[in-house]
Amino acid sequence: MGAEKGKKQRSEEVEEERNGADVIDVELVQTIEKLQSIQEDLEKINEEASEKVLELEQQYNVIRKPVYDKRNDVIKSIPDFWLTAFMSHPALSELLTEEDQKIFKYLDNLEVEDFKDVKSGYSITFMFKPNPHFEDAKLTKTFSFLEEGVTKITATNIKWKEGMGIPNGVSEEKKGNKRSLAEESFFSWFTESEFKGDMYEINDEVADIIKDDLWPNPLTYFNNEAEEDMDEDDEDDEGSDDGSGDDDDDEEDAEA
Amino acid sequence: MGADKGKKPKLGGADNENNGTEQIDAELVLSIEKLQEFQDELDKVNEEASEKVLELEQKYNEIRKPVYDKRNDIIKSIPDFWLTAFMSHPALSELLTDEDQKIFKYLSKLEVEDCKDVKSGYSITFHFESNPYFEDAILTKTFTFFEEGTTEISATAITWKEGMGIPIGVAAEEKKGNKRPKADESFFSWFNNIQHSSNLEEIHDEVAEIIKDDLWPNPLRYFNNEAADEEGSEMDDDEDKDGDGSEDDDDDDDQDDDENED
Repeated sequence: MGAEKGKKQRSEEVEEERNGADVIDVELVQTIEKLQSIQEDLEKINEEASEKVLELEQQYNVIRKPVYDKRNDVIKSIPDFWLTAFMSHPALSELLTEEDQKIFKYLDNLEVEDFKDVKSGYSITFMFKPNPHFEDAKLTKTFSFLEEGVTKITATNIKWKEGMGIPNGVSEEKKGNKRSLAEESFFSWFTESEFKGDMYEINDEVADIIKDDLWPNPLTYFNNEAEEDMDEDDEDDEGSDDGSGDDDDDEEDAEA
Repeated sequence: MGADKGKKPKLGGADNENNGTEQIDAELVLSIEKLQEFQDELDKVNEEASEKVLELEQKYNEIRKPVYDKRNDIIKSIPDFWLTAFMSHPALSELLTDEDQKIFKYLSKLEVEDCKDVKSGYSITFHFESNPYFEDAILTKTFTFFEEGTTEISATAITWKEGMGIPIGVAAEEKKGNKRPKADESFFSWFNNIQHSSNLEEIHDEVAEIIKDDLWPNPLRYFNNEAADEEGSEMDDDEDKDGDGSEDDDDDDDQDDDENED
């Protein structure tokens, strides 16, 4: 350190031996404060950037919505579309018991929707035609990202009809079916809970797969199934591509 | 309806029991085609969205750059800033051998820079003052992401001075019963880890990610933990936290060290 610094410096230098490096501490402290101030500037910039990205996502969600709506209308005229797509998806197909697949024949609409501000959460809704299994026309599972990293998951409490319950799939229907079926019904996915912690800790893989993989383009999965049916045109004694699920062995080939 | 009888393959795979089946198939095919159109439309929208997000990131990188430059200037006047920050970071501290820490005393600047277009990659650069270990003033590791999804990693081939090499860190004389576990391998071997991969996801350079995503955005946070601890125990501190005083004394007060070396 130069000796030109001045009186203040010098008197502090005198105290050096006692306190140990006060001189440097003062300058250091000032430098660190300047550094802190820069970090705060950076934080402000980053916040602004995040907000702008969020705005973009909101904007594009608004643009996408009508396209998704029109798409869903077309899907309604394709028999068993979502069932077929599910059964063609390598992961999702593992989740449907035989009983579930029967129920899915009444599934005519699937919808994934972000909250308006995108960051607060999203919901996944299954819409069913009247069916002998449960009363509900809609089954929804909602993920809400609350303050302080808490995630709240709410889901429809399914009103099963008499004699129905969460089907456990271990039924007499399993006629030596080759494919491994889920042991637990897919519908047990509609349970509620609350998490505290990083959003990324939430391990609802099914939700992730439906939202990020199936929903953006279910046609790719559906088409795999359909293509298989086309190939097996003559030898196929299933008779339908609607994924009735009894003896489909197509989904093995249906990879993303 | 049903005018396209023989045109398309039957989706249902059913034999033609009646013309109705083919009629339905034709409608089905039409629906699927319409569906494909909507998917194509969605693809376009998504591409546009991605481009806009990328533009935003590029724009904000440009805004941040001068701030980072100013920050680096300020950091230059804080002795051993990056060394201290590294040693205060729970993961990074595990990577520096005793020898590495000696070398890090010559580290004057760290820089993380995205490619201009952000998506093509980034580089991490360590600037060193003249030192007895290697000739290089700059050590850089660069990650390049190509369109086809491949990644290339390149790094400076360190020109070690005579007698120096990749310090192993298991230097018997140095380890004076130091409590904290040290790295077995020198941090500088990170500059050897060069690969090409066809799959972006296979490249998992955790060190790079930690430096880029955790340390670089706010190194002061880690530096302060260290500094805060020092303030708490102003005098002799036998808790050799950062270890950079391992060679001379147990006091981890950087300021003291610097002063002594004056």
